[in-house]
Amino acid sequence: MKTSINISDGDAFYEALLAAAEGLSADESEAFLLRLVLLLANQVGDQQALLDAISAARAMVNVKRD
Amino acid sequence: MMPALATGGGYSLPVFPYHRPAEVRGEKRRHPVAIVGGGLSGLTAACDLASRDIPVVLLDEDDTVGVRGASSRGIVYAQKTLEIFDRLGIYERIAEKGVTWSVGRVLADDDVLYAFDTARGSLSKQPPFINLQQFYIEWFLVDRLNELPKAELRWKNRVSAIALAKDHATLTVETPDGTYALEAEWVIDASGIASTIRQQLGAPMAAALGEDRWCISDVRFQRTLPAERWTWAKAHFNDGRAVWQHPMADGVWRLDYQMGANADPQQIASPEIVKDRLRRHLGETEVEIVWVGPYGYRTQLMESFRQGRVFFIGDAAHVMNPFGARGGNSGVQDAENIAWKLAAVLSGAADERLLETYNEERRAAAEHNIKVTGRTIRFLAPRSPFEHRLRDAVLDLARRYDFARALVDTGRLSVAYDYGTSALTTNGGTAFPNLAITHPDGTPGALSDLLRGPGARFLVLCFPSTAALDLPATSVRAFACNAAIGSLPVIRSTGLAALGREGEVMVIRPDQHLAARLVRPDATAVLAAIDRACGGKARR
Repeated sequence: MKTSINISDGDAFYEALLAAAEGLSADESEAFLLRLVLLLANQVGDQQALLDAISAARAMVNVKRD
Repeated sequence: MMPALATGGGYSLPVFPYHRPAEVRGEKRRHPVAIVGGGLSGLTAACDLASRDIPVVLLDEDDTVGVRGASSRGIVYAQKTLEIFDRLGIYERIAEKGVTWSVGRVLADDDVLYAFDTARGSLSKQPPFINLQQFYIEWFLVDRLNELPKAELRWKNRVSAIALAKDHATLTVETPDGTYALEAEWVIDASGIASTIRQQLGAPMAAALGEDRWCISDVRFQRTLPAERWTWAKAHFNDGRAVWQHPMADGVWRLDYQMGANADPQQIASPEIVKDRLRRHLGETEVEIVWVGPYGYRTQLMESFRQGRVFFIGDAAHVMNPFGARGGNSGVQDAENIAWKLAAVLSGAADERLLETYNEERRAAAEHNIKVTGRTIRFLAPRSPFEHRLRDAVLDLARRYDFARALVDTGRLSVAYDYGTSALTTNGGTAFPNLAITHPDGTPGALSDLLRGPGARFLVLCFPSTAALDLPATSVRAFACNAAIGSLPVIRSTGLAALGREGEVMVIRPDQHLAARLVRPDATAVLAAIDRACGGKARR
């Protein structure tokens, strides 16, 4: 999993993300993000990188696993 | 498992004759192999062993095929299974009676998300799939067994108890003429999901019941539909739940509907509700209901598929969710796996260590199938609102983008299990396709023809520019592929050229899985691979 910046223009990416989600309800935002995640996952492709990213994101959400 | 309801059917099933068993007449004998249960796996095991010239006695509590009430059970037979049936001599009848198909479509409501053709790239003489009611396959196996002198079928023989000794097992068998004891060196338990033997031996088993409910309707109707497998991940005509649509023999279609969690089986299978569901699916058409069966999911997996002298095959060993036709097809492959190993041991070609690998190989296959079918359930029956929305995002993307179609899981169809690096393989493990070949004498045939005959023979396929090998002829048959090598008989096939490279030698196991793939080996290396595939030192 890459952890240093790999996006050519980070600020523009963030801005585009905000713009796309602007005015969406919570449900719509979730629908947007789920589709985005799946599209991006296919861009990454590398299985290990995907699994690492899933664990890294999960570890940052403060709910204990049973 | 919930009870199956039999409604009509219009099938007429055979009734097989009961004969007073030798033991009841006072004869004492010890059978090399006894098989308990005359379902799909048990009959396949019996047919495989008897084809290998091993005497086998099969005990079944009933005197017909199928479950009482003409339940159709499994319908989809995959390529590897069809290849086994080709070797056993019943493939032609299956192909004639069944519906051969290879195209599948995956839908969400009115949209076809994607279609696939499983025939693409297939090198086998058998098609990817044939659909046929399970009892027909069982019937053909019985007919074949009746032609094999080494097979004895005992109908109306119910096994009620087992006792294990060091070198044999004793079964208590109930018949119309009373109870008798049957001794066998080895027992194959193919008695299904509620095996008495498994329970009596107290063999450990993990089991889980699911909440998901389905309702099968096997029906005939006037409308003509394509001979394809259609699966809806969600269908508006089934309240947004999944639906399966499959053809089989006699103009019957299997329509399988996902129901709400914990739905009442009596209610979902009641005639009015079934008819209403069919009308929503098929429109106004005259429908004849052949069979209706509500069912719930169940998973079972024995800790070990072997208990002393007893081997468990099919549903007795493992039960999985019915996606991708993995239950019946894996039972047939269990049967083939134990059959060639027992044949190798009983014919003196291998020692008993080989038998332990039945559990290693087939339990790994069952574990894999349970994992695969479990993933399908999770896709079709999301467990939380989040899972539901994630699933719907996949379906949504799949309408437009190719990559997401691969994530739509309405069942991964059964393929032969790849044993990979098992105790028996040397750079092998995959199932070798049943290629159409031209035999050395110029007659057309299939690779499986070369595996027929007594005992458990290995094939050695020598590709061009390998050295002539000096191999003992007893348990090994060597062939040159497409070009002469020394004095080896030559088999020809375009498929061979696609599978092997110059300088390679492939060792094929009696179950047509690849035992070894070797590059320019000498005879010693080939024999070492065969030793390994026999679980140790092969006897020649």
